[in-house]
This record gives sequence, C-alpha cells and structure tokens, in this order.
Amino acid sequence: MKAASFDYVRPESVAGAVRCLVDAEGDGKIIAGGQSLAPVLAMRLARPRILVDVNRIPGLGALRRDGDSLRIGAMVRHHDLLEQRHSPLLAEAARWIGHAAIRSRGTTGGSIAHADPSAELPVVAAALDATIHAVGPDGGRSIPAVDLFEGALETSLDENEMIVEIEMPIPTAWGFAELSRRHGDFGLVTVVAAEVEGSWRVCIGGLAAVPFRARECEWVLDCGPAGEDRIRQAARAAAAAIETSSDLHATADYRRAMAEEFTRRAIEQAVAATRAGAH
Amino acid sequence: MTGSDSTSGSVGRTVARKEDWRLVTGRGNYVSDLELPRMRHVAFLRSPYGHARIQNVDASAADAAPWVDAVFTGLTPAIAAVELRALSALPSYIETAQPILARDKARFAGEPVAAVVAADRYRAEDALELIDVDYDPLPATVTAWEKPEVPVHDGAPDNVLLERAFEAGDVDEAFATSAVVVERELITNRHAGNPMECRAGVALWAKGENKLTLWSGTQVPHLVRNMLAELLGLPESNVRVIAPDVGGGFGTKAVLYPEDVALCIMARELRGVPLKWVEDRAEHLQAAAHARDHRYLMKVGFSAQGKITAVQADVTCNIGAYSVYPWTAGIEPLMAGGLLTGPYMVDNYRCVTRGVTTNTAYAGPYRGVARPATVFAMETMLNLGAAELGLSDLDIRRLNLIPEDAIPYRMPSRLVDDSGWYGRALEGCVEAIDYDGFLVEQKRRAEHGEEPIGIGFACYNELTGLGRAAAAGPRMPFRTGHDACTVKVEADGSVTVMSGVTSQGQGLETTMAQVVADAVGVTYDAVNVRIGDTNEALWGFGAFSSRQAVIGGGAAHTSGVALREQILELAAAVYEVSASELRLVDGRFLMPGVEQPLGTLADVARIAYMESNRLPEGFEPGLQVTRFYDPVRGAFSAGAQAAVIEIDTVSGELTILKWVCVEDAGRVINPQIVDGQIAGSIAQGIGGAMYEHLVYDESGNLSTGTLLDYLMPTSAEIPELSIGHLSKPADNPLGVRGVGEGGTLGPNAVLAGALHNALGVELTRLPITPARLWEALR
Ligand SMILES: Cc1cc2nc3c(=O)[nH]c(=O)nc-3n(C[C@H](O)[C@H](O)[C@H](O)COP(=O)(O)OP(=O)(O)OC[C@H]3O[C@@H](n4cnc5c(N)ncnc54)[C@H](O)[C@@H]3O)c2cc1C
Repeated sequence: MKAASFDYVRPESVAGAVRCLVDAEGDGKIIAGGQSLAPVLAMRLARPRILVDVNRIPGLGALRRDGDSLRIGAMVRHHDLLEQRHSPLLAEAARWIGHAAIRSRGTTGGSIAHADPSAELPVVAAALDATIHAVGPDGGRSIPAVDLFEGALETSLDENEMIVEIEMPIPTAWGFAELSRRHGDFGLVTVVAAEVEGSWRVCIGGLAAVPFRARECEWVLDCGPAGEDRIRQAARAAAAAIETSSDLHATADYRRAMAEEFTRRAIEQAVAATRAGAH
Repeated sequence: MTGSDSTSGSVGRTVARKEDWRLVTGRGNYVSDLELPRMRHVAFLRSPYGHARIQNVDASAADAAPWVDAVFTGLTPAIAAVELRALSALPSYIETAQPILARDKARFAGEPVAAVVAADRYRAEDALELIDVDYDPLPATVTAWEKPEVPVHDGAPDNVLLERAFEAGDVDEAFATSAVVVERELITNRHAGNPMECRAGVALWAKGENKLTLWSGTQVPHLVRNMLAELLGLPESNVRVIAPDVGGGFGTKAVLYPEDVALCIMARELRGVPLKWVEDRAEHLQAAAHARDHRYLMKVGFSAQGKITAVQADVTCNIGAYSVYPWTAGIEPLMAGGLLTGPYMVDNYRCVTRGVTTNTAYAGPYRGVARPATVFAMETMLNLGAAELGLSDLDIRRLNLIPEDAIPYRMPSRLVDDSGWYGRALEGCVEAIDYDGFLVEQKRRAEHGEEPIGIGFACYNELTGLGRAAAAGPRMPFRTGHDACTVKVEADGSVTVMSGVTSQGQGLETTMAQVVADAVGVTYDAVNVRIGDTNEALWGFGAFSSRQAVIGGGAAHTSGVALREQILELAAAVYEVSASELRLVDGRFLMPGVEQPLGTLADVARIAYMESNRLPEGFEPGLQVTRFYDPVRGAFSAGAQAAVIEIDTVSGELTILKWVCVEDAGRVINPQIVDGQIAGSIAQGIGGAMYEHLVYDESGNLSTGTLLDYLMPTSAEIPELSIGHLSKPADNPLGVRGVGEGGTLGPNAVLAGALHNALGVELTRLPITPARLWEALR
C-alpha cells in the first residue's frame, strides 16, 4: 500500500494549476485535501505522473454570502462548512462527513470532483441545483450540478479543468436524513429535502451511481400542502423511481425501503422547520 | 495467600502506569519505529487467487532491476527448505504443511508467493509489479460446511483436518424424556484481530556469526525463539527475539507466521543487513489470522420446569487454508467443544466438533477463542427454550447456572470449574441494569406504541491461566502452564524484574512491578520491569489464554517472596538480629519495638555487590532469585453481561441504552487496568456482533479488504459501560483470575437475546446488522 512514484508541483495560481495539468498531458491529478485521493494512490488504483497540489493557491478558501446564495471556494474544508452560519443545511451535511481529522483536510471542491455516490456534499449540490464554476485552458465555465455528475466517481469535468467555486442557493426550509452503518461513515442512504424559491427539491444519495433527483416526489410535494399523506405519497414516489442494487452492506430491497423512509424523514424535518418558522 | 506480610500495598491500587509516559506522549518504541544502519525493506507478493496452481514464477525482471537487493520465491532453496507443521497428538488430526512462500499452489487470496528486498517499501512494492506469476485457478471452497470440489490439501480429501467427539451421560434418553427440545442452526461471523499496529518485524543475521536477532511485535517471544531455532537449525542461544512496545495483539500476534520466518531466512542470505517488514492494513485483513467462522447445529432439551436435560451440538469451524503454527487447526474447534455448555449444569452432552480447511486465511487465536460463538449458541438456545416454556430469559438462567455449592464442578467436557459465582455475577447485572425498572418501561412503551426496547443476558465462564493439567487445547508437543521470573536487587537497592510476560498495551510492566513491590517489600517506584527480550527473561510463554496475571504474576510473586527471604537473611546477619523477626517494608528494615529502621535495602545491597569485605560469614555476593510458576489447574472467571437496547423497527437500527457487566477477576491487581481490559473486550465483542465481518466471494476473494468495508467500532458505537467486580480469590499465590478475554464473550449473545426479547425475532446468523434485522422483521 505505497503509491507508485510521481512528480509533485505546487502552483501558486489557478492558471498555473491548469498549466500544470495541460503540461502533464492527461497524466496529472489535482490533490486537494487528499482524503479520497491518497488512499487511491496508496492502493495504486490511480498512478498519475504528476500531482498538482492546489493547497497554496490564494483565494480558493473563501466562503461568502451573495444575496440568497452561498459562494464556496473549492478549498473550503468540510470543517469550515460545519462552522459557517449562512446555510444550516450545509453545516448539517458537513457534520455527517467522516471524522474531525477528515473534515479538517477534506475540501468542498474535492468532494464534488470525486463524485462518490455515497458522499454528502454531492447530494446537497444536486438538491440545490448548485452551479460549479470550473477553469480550464480555455477559460472558465459554469456547470449545473446535475450535469456534472455522470457516474460513480465520474464527472463531466475535463481532465485539464479545475473546480474553483461552488455556488448554492440557501434554502428557505430543509431537511437532512442519513442512514449509515457507523458514526462518520458514508451514507447507505442520504436524503436532502429543501425548499428553494417556493418549490421542493428532493435528492437521494447512496443508491444510484449519481445523486438522484426525485422529480416525481418533488412534483407531488409541489402540488399542495405537505400533510402526512402527501409526504408519504411523495416518499413512495421517490423510492419507486430509483434504480439500485445490492452490496455487502445492504440488499437493494432494504436500500429502497430506507430511501422511502429517510425521504419521508427529511421532508418531515423540512416541513416541521417551515411550520416552526411560520409561528 | 502465602507469605504476604509486607505492607507497602501496591497490589489493589490504581498506580500510574510505568509505560504511560512514553506511550501517551508518542515516545513509544515500536518495531515499526526501529531504524538500523543499512536497513532494507521487504514487501510480499500475495496470491490474488483463493485457490490456484502456481505454474511458474518469473522474477527475472525484478531481479534485474537496479534498485532491488534480492527476490525470493517459493523455489528459492533457502525458502523451500523450511515449512511449518503444526503438531498435535490428537488421533484424528491430519498433519499438513505450510510453505514459507507458496510453491506448488496458492491456498488463499493473500498467501505470500514471493518477497522483494529493496531500499524502501515504495521500491519494494514497485518491484512486486515486475514479478510474473503464472496461476492456474482452481475451484475454491470458502464455506466449511460445503463439500470441496478440489481439496485444499491432498492429505485431507474432505477438507476435515481434525474431528473430536465429546460424550457424557445419556443424551438420547434425556431428549426422549424432555418437555421441550429446541433445534437451531447458528452461524457466527469471521473476524480479524486488527490491532492498531499491524504485524511487524526486523531481522538481522550477524555478519560474522550464526546469530539471529528478530525484533518482532510478537506476543510470544520465547516461543518464537524456540521455533525459529528449530526451523533454522540454530542453537537457541544464538537466537534473540525482542518484542519492544507492541501496539495491540489480541491473539493475532501469538502466531509464528510464514512472513516472520521468511524475514529471518532472507536476513540469513543478506547477512549484516537488517530487513524490515511492516504489515499494512490490507495485508492484515487478507493474511493475518482470522477467527470465528463457525456453524453450530444445536439441539437442547429442557424439563417442564426449565432445567437443561441435554445438549447436543455439531460444530464446524472454518480453520482456513492452514493449520495455524504452532497452535494447530484444533484451537477453535476444541475450545468450542470443551466450553460450549458454559456456566450451566449439564449432565448429558454430545458434541462433535471439527476443523475444516478452506481457501480462506487461516484461523488462529483471537481474543475469546471460539467462546464468543459458543456463548452465543448456548444463550440463544436458552432464550428459545424459555420462550417455549413461558419462562423469562432471566429465570431460565437462574435455574441452570452452576451453583456455588456444586464447586468444584466437572463440566461434561471434563474441565473442572472452580468458580461458581455465576449467580452472583448475573444478579449483579440484574441490579445494575435495574431489571424491574426495565420491565415497567418495556410495558409502558408497548402500551403507548413507542419504540420497543429489549433486554439481553449472557452468562459465561472464562477458563484462564491454564496450568499443565488444565489444557483444553489440541495436545501440542508443548505445555504452556509455566512462566519464569527473575527478581534481583541492584547494587543501589533498586529492584529489577526480568519477566517472561509480554505486553501489547495491557500494562504488564505496571502489574508485574506492583506484584513484586509487595512480594519483596519495596515501593512501586523502586521496581523496574524488563520484559519482551529473550536475552533477559529466562522463560515465558507470553500473552494468550488470559494467562499472564495468573502465571506470569504467580512467577513474579513467588520469585519476589523468595528474594525477600534472601534479603532478610543477609540483612539479619549484617545487623546481627533474628531473621524471623526482621521485616522489609518500603525498602527499610524494621524490627518490632524499634522505632528507627535498622537501615535500608540500599545499604544491604551495597554490601552484597560492592563491599564483599563486609559480607557476613557464609554469604555469597549478589541478591537474585529466579523461580518458575505453574498453577497446574486453571482458574475460571465468572462473568455476566446484560444490555437494554432500543429498536427502530422501520430502519432496523438498534441503539444500546445501557450495558452492564459483572466479572470475577479474583483479587484485582490494578483496578484501572482490569476495567480497561473488560471495557476493551466488550467493545471488541460489540464490534464483532454488529460491525466486523470478513466476507469472501465464491472464488475466494476477500470482499472486505479495507477498513471501508470491514467496519471496526469507533468510540461513537460503544455505549457507556457499567462494570462491576466480584473477587473470589483463586487458588494461586496472588488469588487472581484472568480478565483479558471475558468481555468479548457476551455481546453476541446479549444483543441477539435483547432483539429476541424486544420483538421475538431470531437472528441466528451474525453479525446483527440493520439490514438483516429489517429483513427478519418483514
Ligand atoms: C476515513 C474517511 C472517511 C470519510 N468519510 C466520508 C463521508 O462520510 N462522507 C464523505 O462525503 N466523504 C468522506 N470521506 C472523503 C472526504 O470527504 C474527502 O475529503 C472528499 O471526498 C475529497 O476531498 P479532498 O479535498 O480530500 O480531495 P482529494 O482527495 O484531494 O481529491 C479527490 C479527487 O478530486 C479531485 N479534485 C480535488 N480538488 C479538485 C478541484 N478543485 N478541481 C477538480 N478536481 C479536484 C482530485 O484530483 C481527486 O481525483 C472520507 C474520507 C476518509 C479518509
């Protein structure tokens, strides 16, 4: 469990980082917090020729509120998300990521780019229709989250592109529910339910290869007041629509049942928060 | 207790541990930390197949790489000349050989096939990629109770390496007259030891002499020295094994592994060059000893009142690809058959227990050896019997536990139980967990439709500190009943202990110092303990079978008492007083009626070593004693655990609300260390019951190859534990009983029992996971 040999560069700017990636001719890899990449390197599942360390690039660690949105620099650590007060949903989601040591190194950009189907932040990003700002050799572009995630550990980022910022709306109401085997584990099922600009967003992680936006479920919720029956119906709709399979930790049946249950819990939490807010 | 008139009183107190300053400040000295001049690093190439014929190993490219010092394969003559054969005198035992590096075939995924020596581990792993092995895959067997297509070893066509029957009373007659007979198949899960520090070794063969030094994270340095000397044809005095600080062991490190032997053989080929191998976590999960992959076909009869009438069991233990060296394939099956009936009165017992080889990592000693599984089997049957008879889980235990007046009790497997405090342990749990309060709350919740709660119990007898006559083991060509200890006074009056015990974090330096301080009559601070080096201690078998407090402690005590007598005789002659009246307390010589001490141990020690001109007539210089101790029999530790759990019936998640344990450690040497042992072993038991599970696919690949899938419990998963003590002095000089393993015995049974109690569901296959519970509830 030792990485194959690689070269290491530490550019001081985004442009410099992109140049390093271009120079590596497809054989370069960004390293941010290293919390996903380092084990992959150690097991020699990836063997880039050059590691491009983006930890010293100024400005990428900033997090600021911009009207009803939050702009999160790619290098904002999970720990910073947990501590910020602008978006309680993000703080709650970050709390579920691994343990303190992992949260103090792991980055928002890294988690989004790594696109683990069981990770928390991609589910939040997909639920909120986040915009991912990336920079490549031909300049910057903005990618809607749902277009970014293409498969398990696969994104539509070009090999020479780097995420610099993630922009997410701040929901008016939200619920977050996760089922994991142990404290700090990736979720077997992770559900985000949120209300943004008066409409419902529900996204489920852990079952499909990419965060699953439960459109039927959202539609059911958007059709009328969220009473108990409607919530149940919405959760059922979410679970029915999702493709999943069995693995070591759970059967497909169990996951689907839990998708329904945890969707229900997330929506209820969001609805309860709205009610509390209304008083 | 013999001859304890010293009053300094270290034993029984929580003193500051001798090892803690260096360990908790990160200054421990582990094998992994060892750096020696010219040291090279070793990496092993491991079979990716569960079962495959090895047609050819082409190491030429690796050999030719300029950064590679040496490559070894199963065909390298020095490697091929040695094999491991675990020996047992049991009649049914089929002896098999384990190669140092696989030669003709690989028998499990992860078996070492070749080894590379290079300047660092990175380069060594680079070189592994250059070795080309031509495998011809064979059908693999991973389940012990399935017929093999191709046997693992030619000598055992049905894969059975050993089978033993136990028979007592008249089982058939007892079943015929039972009011209730319950039958079940119970399957337990496979674990790895997973100490924080994986296996590690540094081997150095002296350049100009036939001398080998092995620094090893072993639990059994003297045993390793003995085995290495024999395997490598060296005089035993030319082998030195040093176990410095060791980061956990749990039994896994009580084995001599082919990797250890390979390291030493390679060091012989590269004389003068220290070779280091530190196992990584992936290797550990694949290739260090596993345990507890068992099936129990149980049949238990009960009288109408709930008394056990007979127990019948067919036990199959998956012992993996090899008969673990030197403990043999018998280690788990024999423990299972011997202890299955646990702390219960059973007259009629029939058990067939077998060890079956498969294409999986071999099973070895692991904290609790088989008993977490047997306790689960036995306790589950009791709960089922109780349910059929309309008894409570508690009452059926009260009815069947071995009572105090039945001691000594001969178990149906003929082991002799000296404890009998099972009822006290159970009642201690009942009180600590507030059983009556639980019943009220359980009813209230049921009436209000709230989340259900359940209570589970486990009672167990842990056989500890096995003397020469108490062996429950596989009749190996050695008996592990004794240890030696040397205690000496240095010229400055300080006391040095050279003990054969070893420590993997249990604080043996501390406990040995406490025992010796009291036995000699000096303060705890005056005692220095040296352990883990075969050049220092005369003899010790090391850490396993919860033996060290009983046996190593017994040797330390006996030696200390003898040394005190030696000291008093010399001091009496020096001070011209009567030796029988003279006392040594906290390092000072006291006479009755004399207020001032006559002198100090330092004064007398100086005479003994530095001023022979002042030595009284007839005294030799020096103050030192070495004694062996063997308790002959073992000491049973009574234990009981209980827990209350809450179940989320929708998700199948369970929350532990309360966990209590009452154990008999006999006389407690150090309360904090004893509590630490119990808490740690319960945590390990909970991990085993709910999270840890090694899974092989059909072709013998390990599906749980990293800690992402092999789930270790973290502090967040372990509840607050309430630990209570009983102290029935055992029949050994210190009155102690072993406590290293007992905690692991309860959790499987407690959790399965609590689920049964709460919901009436039976989980007969471990581990207990939310997904499985959810399915059981459908
Ligand atoms: C024990 C453990 C437990 C964990 N538990 C969880 C958990 O419960 N939930 C969870 O979500 N995560 C978990 N993680 C993963 C953790 O959250 C990682 O931090 C995260 O997945 C990746 O972020 P990183 O900054 O460490 O990225 P890195 O590991 O440095 O990189 C990951 C990948 O992203 C790419 N990358 C990184 N930054 C950028 C960028 N700015 N632009 C483009 N590509 C980039 C890298 O090239 C690489 O391919 C766990 C990790 C560990 C070690």
